[in-house]
Amino acid sequence: MLFDLGSISERVAERYDVITVGGGPSALAAAIYARRMGLSILVTEKAIEGGQLNLTTTIDNYPGFSNIRGEELAAKMKDHARQLGAEFLNGVVTKIEKHDEYHTIMLQDGKAILANVILLAMGANPKKLNVPGEKEFTARGVSYCATCDGYFFKDKHVMVIGGGDTAMNEALHLSRIAKSVTVVHRRDKLRAVKALQDKVFSNDAISFEWNSIVDRFEGSSQLEFVVLKNVKTGEKKRVKTDGVFVAIGLSPNSDIVRNIVKTDENGYILTDENMETSVPRIYAIGDARKKSLRQIVTAVADGALAIANAFEKYFA
Amino acid sequence: MPLLGEKDANYLRKTFSEQLLSNVKLLVFVDDPSVCEYCDPTQQILEELAELGEKIETTVYNVKTDKATAGMYKVEMTPAIVILNDSGKDTGIRFYGIPSGHEFSSLIQDIIMVSSGNVSFFNEDLSKKIRSINTPVKIRVFVTPSCPYCPKAVIEAHGAAILNEHITAEMIEANEFPELSMKYGVSSVPHTVINERHSFVGAYPETAFVSELFKALGGM
Repeated sequence: MLFDLGSISERVAERYDVITVGGGPSALAAAIYARRMGLSILVTEKAIEGGQLNLTTTIDNYPGFSNIRGEELAAKMKDHARQLGAEFLNGVVTKIEKHDEYHTIMLQDGKAILANVILLAMGANPKKLNVPGEKEFTARGVSYCATCDGYFFKDKHVMVIGGGDTAMNEALHLSRIAKSVTVVHRRDKLRAVKALQDKVFSNDAISFEWNSIVDRFEGSSQLEFVVLKNVKTGEKKRVKTDGVFVAIGLSPNSDIVRNIVKTDENGYILTDENMETSVPRIYAIGDARKKSLRQIVTAVADGALAIANAFEKYFA
Repeated sequence: MPLLGEKDANYLRKTFSEQLLSNVKLLVFVDDPSVCEYCDPTQQILEELAELGEKIETTVYNVKTDKATAGMYKVEMTPAIVILNDSGKDTGIRFYGIPSGHEFSSLIQDIIMVSSGNVSFFNEDLSKKIRSINTPVKIRVFVTPSCPYCPKAVIEAHGAAILNEHITAEMIEANEFPELSMKYGVSSVPHTVINERHSFVGAYPETAFVSELFKALGGM
């Protein structure tokens, strides 16, 4: 049984060398590197440090850990940063104000904290399907978090929408709880890595609806049916289900900085090769940054690169 | 064998000695292990906390033999945790089900809030609004231990209870009470129900939480 100390806030100072907005793997790696270079660092997090790691049931591609639960890896990373003297604040950053020699973060409770360097590590949130019935049946059978809500579908029939690594991980997690899992994917083959494909294809509880997208959700007070549309034939069919888990990708959590730093058309923050954004002393790391691969291993690398560059440029 | 590892125990010992000001009383209500799977570990983890903080006192009651006490605090299910402040006053905070996983941090935050008398995440304006409520309010927050968003919803509800004696706020571990969860149609967490009639799903920012609270009471 796990007893997580995740969101305990400590007392914080009024100024730090570095503040991270977000507390996922990129921020925790940055905290480790910053402390070892002698910089003070505050990691701010709105939910639980470790970010999306906490939503991942099993991780099997992070070097050194052939198979570890997401929340366990998150706790280890936080513990590592804490031991080196990183500080933590549980709260929501509502605004960032830029200045020349420093920047300010504003918290929901009105408090302002200064930092010489800010690391934007806000991560990304699950994308919605934007189909009829989705909003109505969210939390009534439609979910975006298999780790949180999986057990409500014990011995029931569920669907997973998506064909990537996250979708397959969720399908595998749900196959241990639900009676059956149907994966709905818009193409005729999965995008997930081969290791995950091998696992889902050999799992008797998991079946597939290929070339299919969700047309709409139907039900009375709870979700009862999903209407699937075959993208090749245009044919629609109504399938009975108890729950649907949506895992079709992510959208960056960059709303609060879109008028401050440059982003691409999807909201991903643009940086140079050292992770610095269009504004000096503001860096972006992890999933919120425009990059080609969003993984724990690239997130932690971003954090290290940002700190190394910031140290040389602004603290040396 | 202790449930808390040595590292976590040391961290808590330090946190408690730095942040606890006045005494906090934790009442744990248990039933026989044959009918309450999580009563034993809940009792154990709270006893371990009392060992780690000298300002923390844990008392265990059996709902069958200590009926009067259970009735006094309106304990409905087991395991249950009730938190009293320094003067022995009921804070209105309830945990039904074991505070494990991410919910353990909710319990620790609660202990710190009650002991320091400081609910810092509500700003002055929101605190004032919460304090102005003068009718009974019962907030139930359904959670699962693996849900990383849930502690925020729980702590907001518990914080409101600390600020206003008319408010009772319960964390309910949905897996342990499936019938109750079904009754309220819980299938995503955190799922908050206020006074039986108003509900919302998700961890809301503080301002939105307070506005939901007033919506439930019929206007702002």
